[in-house]
Amino acid sequence: MSNSKSLLTIKDLHASVEEKQIIKGLNLDIKPGEVHAIMGPNGAGKSTLGYVLSGRDGYSVEGGSVELNGEDLLEMETEERARAGLFLAFQYPVEIPGVSNLEFLKASVDAQREARGEEAITSADFLKEAKAACKQVNLPISFLKRGVNEGFSGGEKKRNELMQMLLLKPKLCILDETDSGLDIDALQVVAEGVNSQRSADRSFIVVTHYQRLLDYIKPDFVHVLSDGKIVKSGDASLAHELEAQGYAWLQKEPAEDELEG
Amino acid sequence: MSEWLESAITRAQGINDWLAPKRANAVELLSNTNWPTRKTEAWRYTPLRSVERSNAKVITDVAGLSPTDVAGLSAIELVFVNGKFDVSQLAETLPEGLSIILGQNLDDVQKAQALDAFSSIKPERHMFGLVNDALAQDVVVVSVAEGVEITQPIRISSLLSQGAESHTRVQVSLAEGSRLTVIEDVQASGETLNTAFVEYDIAKKAHLEHYRFALQTGSNVAIGGSHFNLLDHATMHSTIVAFGSDLSRLDTDIIHAGEFADAKLNAMYLLDSKELFDLHATVEHAMPNGTTEENVRCIVADHARAVFNGRIHIHRDAQKTLAELNNRNLLMSNTAEINTKPELEIYADDVRCAHGATVAQIDKQALYYLQTRGVSRSKAQVMLNFGFINELIDLMPNAALAEWIRPVIRERFAQMEVK
Repeated sequence: MSNSKSLLTIKDLHASVEEKQIIKGLNLDIKPGEVHAIMGPNGAGKSTLGYVLSGRDGYSVEGGSVELNGEDLLEMETEERARAGLFLAFQYPVEIPGVSNLEFLKASVDAQREARGEEAITSADFLKEAKAACKQVNLPISFLKRGVNEGFSGGEKKRNELMQMLLLKPKLCILDETDSGLDIDALQVVAEGVNSQRSADRSFIVVTHYQRLLDYIKPDFVHVLSDGKIVKSGDASLAHELEAQGYAWLQKEPAEDELEG
Repeated sequence: MSEWLESAITRAQGINDWLAPKRANAVELLSNTNWPTRKTEAWRYTPLRSVERSNAKVITDVAGLSPTDVAGLSAIELVFVNGKFDVSQLAETLPEGLSIILGQNLDDVQKAQALDAFSSIKPERHMFGLVNDALAQDVVVVSVAEGVEITQPIRISSLLSQGAESHTRVQVSLAEGSRLTVIEDVQASGETLNTAFVEYDIAKKAHLEHYRFALQTGSNVAIGGSHFNLLDHATMHSTIVAFGSDLSRLDTDIIHAGEFADAKLNAMYLLDSKELFDLHATVEHAMPNGTTEENVRCIVADHARAVFNGRIHIHRDAQKTLAELNNRNLLMSNTAEINTKPELEIYADDVRCAHGATVAQIDKQALYYLQTRGVSRSKAQVMLNFGFINELIDLMPNAALAEWIRPVIRERFAQMEVK
C-alpha cells in the first residue's frame, strides 16, 4: 500500500482563523482505502483542519500545500473541492428551513454529476436512491420532505450527513466529531453506515475526541493532534493508549516528529 | 430652485396646447416648490444630483425602437418613442369597447372630460408628477366601456434612445363593471431621463390587473408614478418589478374612494452595484369596508441603496378597513443600504391593520454548507434566498409575464455577490 499513489498529501500546513494561528505545520499523507483517526484535546485544531480542507470563508492558509489526487486543493473553490471528491461530515450540520432535504440532496448530486460530465439523473431515479439511502441510515422517508436538518435531533442530523455521503460517494470523507452527542445505538448506526462505505478507493479521516467511535470504525492509523501539529502517530492501539492516559501528557512531553502515516 | 427645474418651467411655458390650463397650474405649483434636498422628507434618501447633472435632451426625430418580445404575450402595444406616441405600432383595429386616442385627437366633448380627469387622481405633492403635467410630450387616453372585459393586455412602453429625455402620460379609465390588464414598461439605453406617469380611474365593480416594470439600469434616470382611484367594489391587482439605476423613483397612490374596494400590491426589487431604487407607496382608505394587501420585497447587494416608504392612511370614515403591509429585505453586503419606513395613520376606530418590516442578511453558514456538497455559490444563493421573491412571482396573474420575468430576476440575483 505504501507504494500506491497518495489520495491526500498535506505538507507543512499553516492556517489561521481571524488572525489567530491554529494549524502550525501539519503533515499528513493518506492513501486510497485508508482510515486515519485524528485525536486530540479540545482546541488542538481538529475541526479547523476540516474547515481549512473544505475551503471555508475566514479560514486562511498561510503556508504549506494540500494535494488531492495530485491536484492543488487550496486553489479550488469549496464546491470544486466537493466535486473533486472531498466530503466533510459536520459536527454541527446547518439547518436550512425552506429548502427540502430532497431538493438539497438532488442539487448536490446534480452538481457533482454535471462536474464529472455525467448525465443528469431523473427525479424518479433519484427519489428511489434517496429512499434507499434514507432506509440505510434509519431515517423515516418523511425526512426527505422536511427542511434540511430543520428540527432534527443531534443523532438525526448525523445520520442525514451520512445519507449525503452515501449518495455523493466521495473519495475522501472527513468525519468531524461524528460521535459527539450520539447515544450508543445512534453511534452504531453511523458506524455501520461508514463501514459499509469503506472500500479500496475511498479514504476516511475520522476526527474524534474519544476512542469510543474507533471501537466501531477501526482505523488503520491514529494521529494525535496538539497545538496545530501532529505530535504522535501510530496504529489503532494508540487510541487505547490515549483513552487510558488522557491528553495531559501532551503538556509534559516535548512534541515528537510525526511518524510517516 | 435648481437650474434644471427653471429650465423645465421655461420650456413648459413655451407649450400651448389643449392641456394649457393644466400645464399652467403645474407651472405655478412648481414655481413655489423648493428643489428637494436631504432635508426634504420625500427625497431624504434619494438625492437628485443625477437630475441636476443630466445631459439628456428631448429628441424630436423618432428612432426605430420597439418593445421587447415576451414569449406567449400578445399585447395591444401603446408605444412612446423618446416621449412621442408612435401610432404606427398600435393595432389598427381594437377590441370592441376599447379606445386608445392621442390627446390632441380627442373631440371637444372628450377633450373636456380628459381635461377634468387629468391630474385628478395623481396627488399634487409629487414634484416630478407636476413636471410631467407641465412637460408631457404626448398624452394618450385609454378607455374601456361599461361591462366590457378586454382579455388582451395593453402594454404601455416608453422607449428611450441614448441621451434622450422623455415625459409620457397615459390616462386610463375603466367604466363600471369592466376589466382590463395594463403593463407599464420603460426601456432606456444609457444617460436618459424620463418621467412616466399613469392615472387609473377604476369605476364601480371594475377590475384592473396592473404591472409596472422598471428594469432600466446604469445611468438612466427614471421617475414615475402609477395612481389608482377605486370606486365601490372596484378591485385591482398590481405587480411592480424593479432594478435600480443612478436614480429610479416610483410613487404609487391607491385611493379607496368607494366602499368595498380591494387592492393588492406586490412589489419586488433587486439592486446591485451602486444602483438606487426608491418606492413611495401610499394607500388612502377614505371610505369604509376597503381591503388592501401590500407585499414589498427587496434584495440589495454591493453598494446599492433601496428606499421604501409605505404609507397607509385610514380616514375617519373608513370603518371596517382591512389593511396589511409587509416589507421584507435581504442585505447581501455590508455596504448595501436599505431605508424602510412603514407609516400607518389611523383615524377610524374599527379597523384591522398590520404592518411589518424585516431586514435579513444572507446566511453564510448555509451557503457554505451547500457549497461543501458541490453546489455552486450562485446556485446555492438562489436556492436559499430566492424563495421570498419567487412567492411574489407566483402571485402574478399573467403566466406569460411570470415565466418571462422569473429567469431574468433569478439570473440577476445569481450574479449578486455576498460581501
